[in-house]
Amino acid sequence: MADITDKAREEFFSEAQEIIETLSRNLLALDAAQKSGKEDPSLINEAFRAVHTLKGLAGLFGAIRLGAFSHRLEDLLDDLRLGRMDLRPEVLDVLFSTVDAYGRILTIEKEGRDEDLPSVDDLFRRLDRLGAAVERGASPVGDYELDPGMLAVLTEYEEHRLRSNIEQNLKLYRLRVQFDLSTIDKALDDMKERAKRHGEIITYLPTGEATGVDAIELDLLLASRDDLATLIGSLGADNIVIEEIPRRLRSVSPSVPPLRGSVAGGMTLPKQEHLDRMADAPGDAAPSLRSLTQTVRVDIRKLDHLMNIVGELSIVRSSLSRIAERLRGEGSRQLATELMRLHRNFDRRLGEMQDGILEVRMVPLGQVFDRLARVVRQISRDLGKEIRLVITGAETEIDKLIVEELSDPLMHMIRNAIDHGIESAERRAEVGKPLAGTIALNAFQKGNHVMIEVEDDGRGIDERALIEKAVESGKIARDEASELVRDEILALIFVPGLSTREQVDDLSGRGVGMDIVKTNISKLGGVIDVHSETGIGTKMAITLPITLAIVSALLVRVHDQVFAIPLSSVSEALSFDAGQVRRVENREVVTVRGSSLPICDLGRLLGLPEPLEDRRRRFIVVAALGNRRLGLVVDHLYGQEDIVIKPLGSSLSRVRGFAGATELGDQRVGLVLDSGAVIEEVLSGGEGPRERPSLMHG
Amino acid sequence: MFVVGGELFGIELTGIKEILSPPPITPVPRSSREVLGVCSVRGLLVTVLCLRRKLRLAETSGGRRSRILLTTSQSGETVGLLVDEVRQVVRLQASEIEAAASTLGSDASEHVVGVARPPGSFVVLLDLRSILPS
Repeated sequence: MADITDKAREEFFSEAQEIIETLSRNLLALDAAQKSGKEDPSLINEAFRAVHTLKGLAGLFGAIRLGAFSHRLEDLLDDLRLGRMDLRPEVLDVLFSTVDAYGRILTIEKEGRDEDLPSVDDLFRRLDRLGAAVERGASPVGDYELDPGMLAVLTEYEEHRLRSNIEQNLKLYRLRVQFDLSTIDKALDDMKERAKRHGEIITYLPTGEATGVDAIELDLLLASRDDLATLIGSLGADNIVIEEIPRRLRSVSPSVPPLRGSVAGGMTLPKQEHLDRMADAPGDAAPSLRSLTQTVRVDIRKLDHLMNIVGELSIVRSSLSRIAERLRGEGSRQLATELMRLHRNFDRRLGEMQDGILEVRMVPLGQVFDRLARVVRQISRDLGKEIRLVITGAETEIDKLIVEELSDPLMHMIRNAIDHGIESAERRAEVGKPLAGTIALNAFQKGNHVMIEVEDDGRGIDERALIEKAVESGKIARDEASELVRDEILALIFVPGLSTREQVDDLSGRGVGMDIVKTNISKLGGVIDVHSETGIGTKMAITLPITLAIVSALLVRVHDQVFAIPLSSVSEALSFDAGQVRRVENREVVTVRGSSLPICDLGRLLGLPEPLEDRRRRFIVVAALGNRRLGLVVDHLYGQEDIVIKPLGSSLSRVRGFAGATELGDQRVGLVLDSGAVIEEVLSGGEGPRERPSLMHG
Repeated sequence: MFVVGGELFGIELTGIKEILSPPPITPVPRSSREVLGVCSVRGLLVTVLCLRRKLRLAETSGGRRSRILLTTSQSGETVGLLVDEVRQVVRLQASEIEAAASTLGSDASEHVVGVARPPGSFVVLLDLRSILPS
């Protein structure tokens, strides 16, 4: 029993989380619409409905605090959507704070703790201070020849929208449309979408008139600025009759043709249809019930489990192929051929299954970008800097687990960009930049990787100040500093404890530095590169693998141990000639096609026992991440294989250089190299790996 | 009861999930000395510790009788303890267990909870929790 309740609770929290994210998205869109001077009343209505649903959920699960808070917020949103209160900037501010407040409340409810939330109490007070709703004057709705039957079933919200549109002197139109019952869902959505370009759809109702066995007739009430001819030109079709609803004259004029529906004595709604409509959401763009039932929420651990099974099946597959080979050798040619055919089929299906599972794990980066947009808004207000956030590639997909781990590093990078990068408005005016700073958040897929860039048009990184800081704090020696090349200087921002700002402030200086950002990114198997131009801006580029679950890897032998190197980080493999090795600046390099490549003897780096046999032929695996390349010297290349990476146990978490381990098929386990960490260790070490025996950990 | 480095030790049975013949173990470079490596037990990645090194006992060769005691650490990690030989399961009354004699004097004493003398033998009882990585 307990399991079922736990499961339901978990679902409740993840659903609540989703609703809050929807709310947040609505608020952002509302903010954007407000700024550009447009009004989209449906956004407030959707926010209202989100909170309403949340309130209902909270009631079901006895989440008292969540319920009380939602109740209060629902009242506010109700006032807003019904026009009883104006959407002033301070109201919008309070609305934005509710998203964070929800986050806190959820955490507490989830852990079942009972503690005070002063910030939430404060928000309650701010909500109260927004003031009471205003009552509007007499309704002008009566001035129109509207069907009383339609008016009678308008919801309060619809009535308000109708009134508000009339007050803006918009014309009212009735669109009578016949739909085929089998395609009505899509056709109605299309219709609404097209009509929305001309104005606002107040409501839609079935007319109840029989038009055929498989057809249904709907009346759409549309408020628009455009004239009848424009509408007919744009929306006109065989199945649509568009009429303007005339303003009622004080003395009823016989020249005004009566509406068809009203001649019939008002719209008579079949009871069932009426109920359906009421049960459905009022207003437009409401998410349909159907789409809800077609998605399932799955714990990512279940997908991991499936992925593990796929991994074991690929081991079975390898064994199958070995058996087939043996059969062929032993003369059972026909059996061997049959088995091979089976094996190929199995192989193909397994690949499809693997792709399918991977696809399920993928989520669009937009999930985390939405959260970041909120942060940008908050910070820009806190600092009094105007920021334009430009997001591209929000639809780029990446492993769910990676998305979860990305939000903190990205948030910190954006904080830094706004705080340290973007200049004050006065300064920007002086140098002739637009007053509003721009932060660009770009994502795109590049082969097996996803790139995320955070770019600002601020002052750029002050290299001299950075060096000064590094020397002062003793991270580098002064004579060493003068030898640094540009990239090395910029890389200093990732050194713990270095921040280019004189004053540590509570925004960026909250203890988490770029070094933590870097660590977190490398935990995901990614690297981060920084580019900066003084006076022009800074760009941070993160390169991440698309998924953590299954990777193609190159199996290599170093001494007598097998290692897997994720193929995503391998650019090529070369044969190694010890005679070509030169020492440059204390580092071993070889020349590949005219450019020099730093190399590292993997066996030596890992401190493996020296092999007994003489190694004649060796290889270089060129690992490349971002713009850094490193040649790893190995003894043998086995080939490529898809592997499931399993994390090393927590007692081995301090051992650097490995991303995990994987099963190799013959019951043995191979370690998976963490290319990012190895490249980092060797290239930023400044000295060759041979002189660094202190790498032993544990 | 099991043998490590020529001495007889015991661990409370409730902490042991399984006893295995050692599968091939992959050494993990850069890990601490007592970590033998990792192995796979039916798809589960297990960190294998050498109990002999952990207790800083004399080096002996495990040979064919060596076994892995499978257990779970407090952090949920599955850990295997390599021992030289597993003897038998004995049932001990609480009254049969004596407090740890400080005379043991070896480095192992920090992991010892007591000693017992079942007929014809002398067993040092180990505290599983203190052996496992926290």
